[in-house]
Amino acid sequence: MSLDSFITWLYATPLSTLIRDVSWVIPAVQSIHIVAIAVVVGSAMITDLRLAGILATDEAPAAVVRRYTPWMWGALLVLLLTGMVMSIGEPDRVLVNSLFWFKMGAVVTVSVLTWFLHRPFLNPAPPAWLVRLNSFTKPAAWFSLLLWVGVIICGRWIAYAV
Amino acid sequence: MDIQKNLQAVYDSSLATSMRQVGVLFPTIETLHVIAITLVLGTIAVVDLRLMGYASHRRSAQRLIAELLPFTWGAFVLAVVTGLLLFAAKSIDYAQNNMFLAKMCVLVLAGANMAVFHFGIHRRIGAWHETFPPPVGARVAGFTSLVLWVVVVFLGRWIGFV
Repeated sequence: MSLDSFITWLYATPLSTLIRDVSWVIPAVQSIHIVAIAVVVGSAMITDLRLAGILATDEAPAAVVRRYTPWMWGALLVLLLTGMVMSIGEPDRVLVNSLFWFKMGAVVTVSVLTWFLHRPFLNPAPPAWLVRLNSFTKPAAWFSLLLWVGVIICGRWIAYAV
Repeated sequence: MDIQKNLQAVYDSSLATSMRQVGVLFPTIETLHVIAITLVLGTIAVVDLRLMGYASHRRSAQRLIAELLPFTWGAFVLAVVTGLLLFAAKSIDYAQNNMFLAKMCVLVLAGANMAVFHFGIHRRIGAWHETFPPPVGARVAGFTSLVLWVVVVFLGRWIGFV
């Protein structure tokens, strides 16, 4: 099955049609998506700036990471769910757009990076190989922030570059 | 003061015309606006949740506010500057857009809520900054702020849907 025939099939499903036809669904889902982005970006800003040694340096990094990591993963789940509703509702706009796929790649990359970045501080006895990655913590934290901004840029530009 | 004439003057200005005619300008300013609002909501949410009695990464509400509010204000300035540019580009339409007008009203309410908090219970923050639960005034201020800012995001998104 090609991407085009999948999109045609998906577009014609009752769920996809419902998402498009009920006028408040897409704006509501997009708004929730934005609120969840704020949770992720706010959490990432505080956590990454702490790991970069800029913010809240009087608090142990583990304390900062433990406070915000659950919120980040929860918000990322909301982003995935709302994103799926948007993709199912308008597959012809989203799935053929290379910016969308680039954004997905960036989201996966920064999520994996976040997992590795936070792991040493969540695990009371991290394995030796993870501890050895300590020297990468600061640049990785800055790169993480950069990736989140990149994800937002891609997200907004999906609507403009088809 | 003739509002319509002023709106037309803004719309006809070279800045507003560039915003409409130079293809990447509006999307770029809009993207910066999105980044700004996610940082405003993300950082203010941490403070508001603390005021409501949810622990942040540090115990003291006073130190949290001092630590995060510069980021909130910086992001808000960016949101206002980009917002003014976005408004200028389509001033005549936005001035008649109920969602935009409502958003401006709710922004004023959010500001008023912050002022009431700042000149009220915040004056005595030295007495309650490390106690849980926080006083009722702080909890109400935090909850109201969070609700109002989420409403601002929803109204902002809905501007493009009416």
